[in-house]
Amino acid sequence: MQDTVRRLNDEYQFKLTDKEIDLVAQQAEEAALLFKPLFEVNVDGITPLTMIDKRVRKIPAAKKGKK
Amino acid sequence: MKTLDLEGLTISALGPLLKKKQISPLEITKSYLERIGKLNPKLNVYLAMAEDGALAAARKAEKEIRQGKYRGPLHGIPLSIKDNIATKGVITTAGSKILADWVPDHDATVIERLKAAGAIILGKTNMHEWAKGSNSINPFYGTPLNPWDTTRIPGGSSSGSAVAVAASLCLGSIGTDSAGSVRNPASLCGTVGLKPTFGRISTYGGVAGTGGYTVNHFGILTRSVRDCALLLNHTAGYDPKDPLSSDAPTVNYTKALGAPVKGMKIGLIKGYFEQGIVSEVRRTVDKAMNTLKSLGMRTQEIEIPHIDLVPAAQAASTRPEANSDHDHYLRTRPRDYSPGLLYSLIAGLLTPAPVYVQAQRVRRLICQEFDEAFKSVQIIVAPTIFSPAPTIDDCNRGYIEADGKRINLQDRAGNFLTRYTIPFNVTGLPDMSICCGFSSGGLPIGMQIVAPPFREDVVFQVAAAYEGATEWHKRNPVL
Repeated sequence: MQDTVRRLNDEYQFKLTDKEIDLVAQQAEEAALLFKPLFEVNVDGITPLTMIDKRVRKIPAAKKGKK
Repeated sequence: MKTLDLEGLTISALGPLLKKKQISPLEITKSYLERIGKLNPKLNVYLAMAEDGALAAARKAEKEIRQGKYRGPLHGIPLSIKDNIATKGVITTAGSKILADWVPDHDATVIERLKAAGAIILGKTNMHEWAKGSNSINPFYGTPLNPWDTTRIPGGSSSGSAVAVAASLCLGSIGTDSAGSVRNPASLCGTVGLKPTFGRISTYGGVAGTGGYTVNHFGILTRSVRDCALLLNHTAGYDPKDPLSSDAPTVNYTKALGAPVKGMKIGLIKGYFEQGIVSEVRRTVDKAMNTLKSLGMRTQEIEIPHIDLVPAAQAASTRPEANSDHDHYLRTRPRDYSPGLLYSLIAGLLTPAPVYVQAQRVRRLICQEFDEAFKSVQIIVAPTIFSPAPTIDDCNRGYIEADGKRINLQDRAGNFLTRYTIPFNVTGLPDMSICCGFSSGGLPIGMQIVAPPFREDVVFQVAAAYEGATEWHKRNPVL
């Protein structure tokens, strides 16, 4: 990951120190671990969410309490 | 003319007095400006004042009301605006160094609508840098302080907005929320904080880079549930300038207030909202549940099978979406970000595209699971944050100590202060945080009330019933 961060550092001209490169690489590695379980879910046939459905959902009627 | 004590004043209480000409909009505006002048140096709430515009708007409101041209319940009402929402002619920094001198040439749609309703904009409120965090420790403008205990954070990122409302430095505020940024400070400062359904309030005029496109919402902070409904009435609705705004019909949200809640069923999600929870918060929310039950509501456990993937889905969505707005500044002014934010933005550049797309598929799956849950319950209730407000020192060292254990404020899954609020950014569901009690140390504790999409009326119905049965919203911080 350090090499990837170094490439970004060159491209964007961040002028990161070695210590900063390590910090960013560590964050990116942790993010990769966080994202891993997303690929363990079966999402066959599920379209990516683009925006929330516009329809107003009817909520179930509240049960009438005893009078 | 009457003179009013601003402390604890609400829009609902002031509106009728303005309408009946018993209070002058000009006098009330001057009173707020005077109070801000006195307390802002202590609390660091406002970054920029719009004094000239506020006084001009107040004079105009006064003239119109005198002439019988009363515009409605926001006419002559002083409000504040988070500093990442464009206000024409008023400096808008987004809490950043990069935009320190930016003066927008346009108003956000929400500002246009509030001005059309006769509201008075007092100024712009402090916030977390670029809205990318929730402790609001801002290296460029200083940290807004929690009015209940000034050694503590107010939450964030709409921190200044929440402090302004809690400390009676305005009657309501507009904030933004892409991970909990309205509800989190509302909870820690003891105010009402509404994040409506995704698309319900136009986000046109929001500063780019202060929230991922598919998780960001404009929201409302007020002292009471009724005030919140009044503000939503005047801000909700389709906006052709915002392609993500919804054309779902709006309703008069105040009509839901006072509707009976007897027989309604509350959904409780176990597990996710128990992670790291401090016993005092758990007890307080349990008591609030008992209050709701005493009103005739019932509870039912519900399951959202993939809720534990919310932090990953949120991060995988927000990082690429927000980063796309920062690319130019990352290339030209990287050292004008605080170091922590710079590192996180750079790490965000390394999110692969398939991760982003996969996250959107998982988000739809989670939305479907909430849809299924809402077939058997009318609302979901959960704590807003796992603990009362941490101290600034806690945030700087990265953890709090409670119940004899250490709880980290940041872990691999992200910011722990927003862990309980992000499910409703990922799903876009309408969600209000309302004060449900105070800690033994006198700090507010909030609970979330969540409804199906575009059913803010149900949120208001339940929140108003709870508020009517309790006195928490009547407390004021001692300043």
